[in-house]
Amino acid sequence: MAYQLYRNTTLGNSLQESLDELIQTQQITPQLALQVLLQFDKAINTALANRVRNRVNFKGSLNTYRFCDNVWTFVLNDVEFREVTDLVKVDKVKIVACDGKRASYTCVMILLFDQLLDTPHL
Amino acid sequence: MASSANSNPVPKLYRSVIEDVINEVRELFLDEGVDEQVLMELKTLWENKLMQSKAVEGFHTEEQAALQAAAQQQAQQSQQVTQQTQSQQVLLPQQQQVTNWQSTRPNVTSAPQQQVIVQDPKILQHMSATGMSAAATAATLALPTGVSPYQQLITSQGQILQVVRAANGAQYIIQPQQQMVLQQQVLPQMQPGGVQAPVIQQVLTPLQGGLPQQTGVIIQPQQIVLTGNKVQQNTQVMQMAGQAGQMQQVQQVQQVQQAQGGAAQGAPQQQQQPQAQGGAAPGAPQQQQAQQMTQPQPPMMLQVDGAGDTSSDEDEEEEEEEYDEDEDEDKDKDGGEDGQVEEEPLNSEDDVSDEEDQELFDTENVVVCQYDKIHRSKNKWKFHLKDGIMNLNGRDYVFSKAVGDAEW
Repeated sequence: MAYQLYRNTTLGNSLQESLDELIQTQQITPQLALQVLLQFDKAINTALANRVRNRVNFKGSLNTYRFCDNVWTFVLNDVEFREVTDLVKVDKVKIVACDGKRASYTCVMILLFDQLLDTPHL
Repeated sequence: MASSANSNPVPKLYRSVIEDVINEVRELFLDEGVDEQVLMELKTLWENKLMQSKAVEGFHTEEQAALQAAAQQQAQQSQQVTQQTQSQQVLLPQQQQVTNWQSTRPNVTSAPQQQVIVQDPKILQHMSATGMSAAATAATLALPTGVSPYQQLITSQGQILQVVRAANGAQYIIQPQQQMVLQQQVLPQMQPGGVQAPVIQQVLTPLQGGLPQQTGVIIQPQQIVLTGNKVQQNTQVMQMAGQAGQMQQVQQVQQVQQAQGGAAQGAPQQQQQPQAQGGAAPGAPQQQQAQQMTQPQPPMMLQVDGAGDTSSDEDEEEEEEEYDEDEDEDKDKDGGEDGQVEEEPLNSEDDVSDEEDQELFDTENVVVCQYDKIHRSKNKWKFHLKDGIMNLNGRDYVFSKAVGDAEW
């Protein structure tokens, strides 16, 4: 399972809304919609990892930080995002970051399965 | 549009993701027994919403539209001549329409005729080229006041539609390219041998001096249906559920070709003369006609929530507020009596600000990503992030790596 992190983006939200509309008109089942979203998770994770190659710098002041369930959530103020081409300034931005090392996520899953199957990995 | 040195990777990325997802779930859809048409509808809805959000430049869809139109044109060349020329007609105004619509966007609120006129020359050219009646000097579209061209949609067959947003927030689709039709005449577009069932065509009226309105496009506030058809104007069945707001003075007889007489919902929109609204009150006759024209549309509903809501909740809130105020007053009185003047609430000197909730912002700028390393030294934080999607000031950006500094 890939991170469901990207569902709350323009791309993800528009997909969810479209699926909701189809569900309301009963053209698809909620189960099917969920499958589509899972597929979307895979696709966006793959696409970001493989098809994007650019770098961004940013600078600002940190308002709040939170680390919970291996997810960092920051709120920054007066931030400048700088790319080679252009500069974007915002007063406030929220950054939600999941662990980039899938190992941690995978480890958790492995441990869970170990408990289920009584097959100790470690 | 000026071509930038660095192409924006976002539209391509999104497009590739959409294609991947749609292709991957095609099997799922078939397994569930869901028609391919629904899959296409999902794709269209998805793309439309993306375009509506304006978070991505929609140029990629235009390119695709051009590609599709080219492919469509080639496919149609084996068909009849008139269709051929008309499809060419489709191609050329497309590019024009892009600029037209976009350039006329700010002009909407005044003189809808302006927009109309802009498109005239284009259509006139084609009209004369195709030898059709030149009576179609009128604009193809007239937008009512308060309606602004919003986005351009591409149907799966590559037709460019204009999504228009009325002042009340309802969204409509205008199908800009239509065959020219004489005033009050409906010319059969398809050859008699065609398979088409009743063709509803756009009725255009020539610009008459002084007439503030042209017959425009039927804008169905709730359902806009374009039935798919193999010939020519392959329009796709689309339904836009929108608010049943007031319809301004725009009506268009959409050219809806009902394939095999299939039910086109809300389609039969053969208008008699909508020009009667010339100077009349825009609201009422519009709604009447709209309601007459659109059949399966639900009855127009006025919004009753919000200000017009029932007062039960308000009463409860008022009661609670009064109760709280009484408590506060008592506390203040007690404080005063004790000799401790506490005029300000106790949390007035607290660090945490309550005003964060009150900030108004159009878009919450969000970055969704993964972290490689988060480092802190005293109050200096360093962020090493990757694979992120950002929405800043309403627009989308992506990055494969991001490095940041912040002071807490």
